[in-house]
Amino acid sequence: MNNYRDNLAKFRELDAQVLGISVDAAPSLKVFAEQTGVQFPLLSDFKRQAAAAYGILNEERGFAERATFVIDRDGKIRAIETGAAAIDPAGALASCRAIR
Amino acid sequence: MQSRIFAAGFALLLGIASLAAQEPKPAVRQTRTLKVGDPAPDFSLPDQNGKIVRLSDFRGKQNVVLAFFVLAFTSG
Repeated sequence: MNNYRDNLAKFRELDAQVLGISVDAAPSLKVFAEQTGVQFPLLSDFKRQAAAAYGILNEERGFAERATFVIDRDGKIRAIETGAAAIDPAGALASCRAIR
Repeated sequence: MQSRIFAAGFALLLGIASLAAQEPKPAVRQTRTLKVGDPAPDFSLPDQNGKIVRLSDFRGKQNVVLAFFVLAFTSG
């Protein structure tokens, strides 16, 4: 999440809301946010329902794969990046710029 | 002998050149359940402060970047 933390101002300039999400419990996310200085919501998908709905749940290991979804104001998915591409926020930034 | 070394060096150079010429992988446009253009599934989940956040909270207001990460206290 550090890359998103470091680029938060750019997302804000584009009026895009960044939401981190993992299968961690909320108290773990609170400590994680404090340690890393993340300033955006970190959502606790403890029951794995969102990860399953978004098709990125690693069922064998029980956690979400790295993936970023850009969702427009109409609730439509405009970009999907997974794996290493999702760690670099450049693609998500470009998508946000395109649909600004 | 010299020509063999030359040939091996040339092959190595070719290998490096072909690696460098590889196109970056195109962005993945789909997952097992969703593709670009699909409606994003709504969710209602607590954030790190216990506040419930719904995707639909942002409908008509802001674009959302939903960044799934593997686990807290790991990089990426």
